[in-house]
Amino acid sequence: MSGPVLAWSRLRPTPALQVSAAAVLLAFGVGALLIAALGVPVGDAVAAFADGAWGSSYALAASINRALVLMLVGLGFILAERANLTNVGGEGQIAVGGITATALALWPPVAQLPWGLAFIVPMLGACAAGALWGGIAGVLRVKMGTNEVIATLLLSFIAIWMVYGSVQSEHLLRRPMTSSATLPESLEIPVATQLPLLTGDAGTPLHIGLLIGVVLAVAVALLLNRTVTGLQLRATGLNPRAARRAGMPIDRLAIGALCAAGAFGGLAGAFMLQGEQYTLKAGFSSGYGFDGLVVGLLARGSATGVVAGSLLFGFLRSGGINMEMVAQVPTALVVVIQGLIIVTLAGAAIGIQRMEARRK
Amino acid sequence: MRERHAIGPGDGLHDGISDGGPGLAAAPVAAPLLKLEGLSKRFGALQALQDVSLALHPGEVHCLLGENGAGKSTLCNLVFGVHAADAGEMTLAGEAFRPRSPADALSHGIAMVHQHFSLVPDMTVLDNLLLGQVRGVLDRKAGAARIAAMRERYGLALDPHAKVQDLSVGERQRVEIVKCLVREPRLLVLDEPTAVLLPQEIEALLSVCTRVAQQGCGVVLVTHKLAEIQRVARRATVLRGGRVVARSDAPAQDIDALVRAMIQRDLQAPAASVQAPRASRMAPPPGSPTREAALLADGLTVRDADGVVRLDNFTLLVEPGEIVAIAGVEGNGQSELGAVLSGMLRPTEGRYFVCGEEMTRATPRQLSAAGCGVVPEDRHALACVTGMNVAENIMLDRLDRFRRFGLLDRAAMRREALDLMQRYDVRAASPDVLFGGLSGGNQQKAVLARELTLEGLRFLLAAQPTRGLDVGAVEAVYGHIRAAADRGVGVLLISSELDELLSVADRVLVLYRGRVMGACPTAGADRARIGAWMAGHRDKEDVAEEVAP
Repeated sequence: MSGPVLAWSRLRPTPALQVSAAAVLLAFGVGALLIAALGVPVGDAVAAFADGAWGSSYALAASINRALVLMLVGLGFILAERANLTNVGGEGQIAVGGITATALALWPPVAQLPWGLAFIVPMLGACAAGALWGGIAGVLRVKMGTNEVIATLLLSFIAIWMVYGSVQSEHLLRRPMTSSATLPESLEIPVATQLPLLTGDAGTPLHIGLLIGVVLAVAVALLLNRTVTGLQLRATGLNPRAARRAGMPIDRLAIGALCAAGAFGGLAGAFMLQGEQYTLKAGFSSGYGFDGLVVGLLARGSATGVVAGSLLFGFLRSGGINMEMVAQVPTALVVVIQGLIIVTLAGAAIGIQRMEARRK
Repeated sequence: MRERHAIGPGDGLHDGISDGGPGLAAAPVAAPLLKLEGLSKRFGALQALQDVSLALHPGEVHCLLGENGAGKSTLCNLVFGVHAADAGEMTLAGEAFRPRSPADALSHGIAMVHQHFSLVPDMTVLDNLLLGQVRGVLDRKAGAARIAAMRERYGLALDPHAKVQDLSVGERQRVEIVKCLVREPRLLVLDEPTAVLLPQEIEALLSVCTRVAQQGCGVVLVTHKLAEIQRVARRATVLRGGRVVARSDAPAQDIDALVRAMIQRDLQAPAASVQAPRASRMAPPPGSPTREAALLADGLTVRDADGVVRLDNFTLLVEPGEIVAIAGVEGNGQSELGAVLSGMLRPTEGRYFVCGEEMTRATPRQLSAAGCGVVPEDRHALACVTGMNVAENIMLDRLDRFRRFGLLDRAAMRREALDLMQRYDVRAASPDVLFGGLSGGNQQKAVLARELTLEGLRFLLAAQPTRGLDVGAVEAVYGHIRAAADRGVGVLLISSELDELLSVADRVLVLYRGRVMGACPTAGADRARIGAWMAGHRDKEDVAEEVAP
């Protein structure tokens, strides 16, 4: 997979834009064919999809919240990618972020904090936990030469099962058992620790995380393209020895990049918990980390690309869920469409590269 | 005079080898096993081999000499069928020979040991040996018997049941050689087999070469180490820039001439201005005489991971304004010296000071801060990031200067880069083009622009600064280096281009196997004496001094 995706990441901007548009349309076309093949009227399915993705203010807000989570993971990914580090541990970073945010939010003193600190402290805690999770992979990479793909992936499995473990025991985060029917999940976090809604109306659950996300996207874009650190990350990624000779702290840059990627994942976990789910359950991260990784891969190192990709995938997810509920189209179809988009993009990129090579 | 006859220049070779000189007449008259005639090979813009003719005889060790990039490996690869020649003929035992693949070459009785091993570390010696040579059922017993036979025949001892990953480098290489020998080859090609070995392992390998040859096999040994030639070579051929520049039928006697052939540039190449004497060269260095030495190296010693001494007790003083050159055949400790002085390698022993400040354990960043500029030997590995643009590369070590309100001031960076590009004649369409797209000469000038404008520059290390550059660029590079010295910068120049060193430097030192073999001022230097140092001969008086305590 890395070859075609690499080709995609090296494509010049103009064809890239055209290719993405074409790939998305093509994938949707194939999706429609598949729906027809299932015997479902395509019109019904499309209506259900649109309804679920942006049909109501609630649906719209839910889609944006999903996109927000994907965007954070994707931003972290391109940040580490700039130093030639591949962070595939978004899922685990979300998980440790979720655990930490839950633990802090359920700790009584935190909910009493004034000036919004009640919801800020769990968020910062989640960032720190994610940064630690990414940083472990960074230290392993720098000190022992462990491949960060393996390290971040394996750390993800540990984190995912840590969520499971933490909601199984009342000594940890499980809510007190009042009957045998009590689910293995945490208590709902206090209102003060939930992310404030922008509209003040629960019907449109857009929360303050949207603003934070926008600020962070701009910050990442600036960091990568307009700062000395961004340039140093790039030099470290492209030629670490030359970067060292030029006096750059390459070890610190590498560890820092993975810490930052992890912190973004942790924050995504906090957003999911404090902005949407409010209780921690097993399977809490539900694949957002891996979808976010795909968004990061397809963004070709650009923050704008991450924003566009995460919106696309966020709306796809929301619409897909509704399509299953209303039109009885399996939600797996959405995954098929996502896969088609990736394959078409990467394949087209290779094709264009070959064409350009032949022209030369 | 003998040497005159045996060593012929490349252009005299078109009429073939068999007509020969006195040297050949003395050789046993045998039909060549493999005859190469007029082989040429081009890779893109690089003419890797041009009109190379060679005759390899059975029962002889033939040494193929040359610096890095001289075309030795390409020649081996043509013989072994890895590449096809663009022009020329090969004849194997009297028949036309055009190997289409390594497998084809193997089936014709040609075996090759590559520079990099192709063994499976996780498997035993025996299984590695059987790999690719057995079809169907594995007969490990028969295989072990063959290994035992190798011990009988060539003195190659190997434990068939040891795992390759537990073996030393020398033992691994023995496995590679046995892998070749069990095929009973007519011709064995060894591509720089000794580069990775310890001295005693080299000795063992060379005796294997001799034995294999005694059994009637032809052996081609690629090397640039002179001691090995003296030890085993029956004949030797020197390649430079893809051409045969010298050959000898008595290499042990001709060693000095072979060295000269290996390292000299084309006769017409030295540029006039490089030869011009430096104005300040006879004058004492500017500034007060009490100024501290730009570089003081005190007993620097480097042992590599295997414990081999790569740099041996190296001591040197470079005055401000002085250009000191390190000459020698490549691979005699120059790379290690360069790595130590650029902060990329800690010396095992010894210390060094730049302008009186101890820098032995300094990081590259601290070295730059102390005014230590470095033009590294391997430009692409250490001096630039080819995937970034020219401005970013020129400012690579001083990006912090362009921080404004936390953001990068690209305009200022571009402006300063453009200024340096003009001053150092770096020809690029703009500071924004990719560095990798520049020609080698312009890349090198850009690296110089950066290193020579280092704030507070007091010492410059320039390692192989002209490698791969055309004459014009060579001139420009030395012009800048000299200008720096005239400003009072102490310069240490490491190069294998003797002509250039002699015309640019004030003093020259010769490294051989990590040790300083001799030193002399370049004014009126005796090339023959320097050549002898490079070949590992000390001056007679020196030897006498060493013997008499």
